[in-house]
Amino acid sequence: MKFTLIIGDEQETRDFPDETTIKRVLEDMDFPLETVVVKKNGQIVLEEEIIADGDVIEVIKVIYGG
Amino acid sequence: MKTCTKCGAPEVIIEKKHSGQRLCQDCFIQGTQQKVLKDIRKYKLIDKGDKVLMALSGGKDSVMVLDILNSLYERNIIEMTAVTIDEGIKGYREDGVRIAEDHAKRLGIEHNLVTFKDSFDTTLDDIMTSSSQRGACTYCGVFRRWILNREARDVGATKIATGHNLDDETQAILMNYLEGNIENLTRIGPKTVSRSEKFTVKIKPLREIPEKEVALYVLARELEVHFAGCPYSQESFRGEVGQFIKQLSQNHPTIMYSTLRGFDKLKPVIKKEFTKEFNMGKCTRCGEPSAHELCRACIFCIEINE
Ligand SMILES: [Zn+2]
Ligand SMILES: [Zn+2]
Repeated sequence: MKFTLIIGDEQETRDFPDETTIKRVLEDMDFPLETVVVKKNGQIVLEEEIIADGDVIEVIKVIYGG
Repeated sequence: MKTCTKCGAPEVIIEKKHSGQRLCQDCFIQGTQQKVLKDIRKYKLIDKGDKVLMALSGGKDSVMVLDILNSLYERNIIEMTAVTIDEGIKGYREDGVRIAEDHAKRLGIEHNLVTFKDSFDTTLDDIMTSSSQRGACTYCGVFRRWILNREARDVGATKIATGHNLDDETQAILMNYLEGNIENLTRIGPKTVSRSEKFTVKIKPLREIPEKEVALYVLARELEVHFAGCPYSQESFRGEVGQFIKQLSQNHPTIMYSTLRGFDKLKPVIKKEFTKEFNMGKCTRCGEPSAHELCRACIFCIEINE
């Protein structure tokens, strides 16, 4: 399963096993979940959302520092 | 499948761990607006006919307050004006200023930009690169308060609205408690009323909204905001305390609410015991209200120029 991951100005293609959740991907990258909002194909979604082939996942860092 | 607990829609954007509530985008927006408007009534933050000065940084918190207060402004319940303070933080403040101006223009709200440079003939960057004796947040806080109070009087505002959210407020409570600044605790609350009528009443409509939900709200409403951290915030003790509470909240999702509730119960007692009685006079240098000969802003200005 391949999807597009957008974080800030950076965009890349990622390859993960099927049925992978957004949460799993973020944890894999050591990205603190509580500081981000995630959009899947332009819609805000929960972190438990499962990524499908061809999805565009945008991670928006919304909380900084303290 | 998880659906919205209010309307049954399948596209859920938030699951509130502390209440078990799951909400779709529309129900979340509506519920959040209602909660903030309810708090405004409950704590009597705004009276009909108030002229509210919005401290608008262009960040998520102040943009959300502006969006919700605009519903009162549109119905002619309040008058509204906005001010953006430019502290002179290069590479950080510029975006916020532009976004603040755009929102004010879009809503047809009077908007002023006031800089540290114009007010104090220096910038936060300059203060921090030269011989700064204090933390950036100390200078910034004192100078911003000075500007806000003066601006409120200049535009004839009866209230100053700020974007402080639940995370900010519990941070302030815990920080002042940990540092033993009990007198500072007497001033924390949804509405800050000062002893001098030359200080305008400050209100915090988002005091019970978690920071993450503020972010979710502006994204759900598709409001343009400046999501970036102040380059000086990490250095502060406040920042450390903030991270600590956020970490605790992971496994204890109600911790911020209980910290706030507990504090609000204690507050009348703290206030009674620890409010200092002193006469508010005028600062001999700038004329702003001050308990001493010089106000804190003027003391800092003199220090900086030494
Ligand atoms: Zn719903
Ligand atoms: Zn002064």
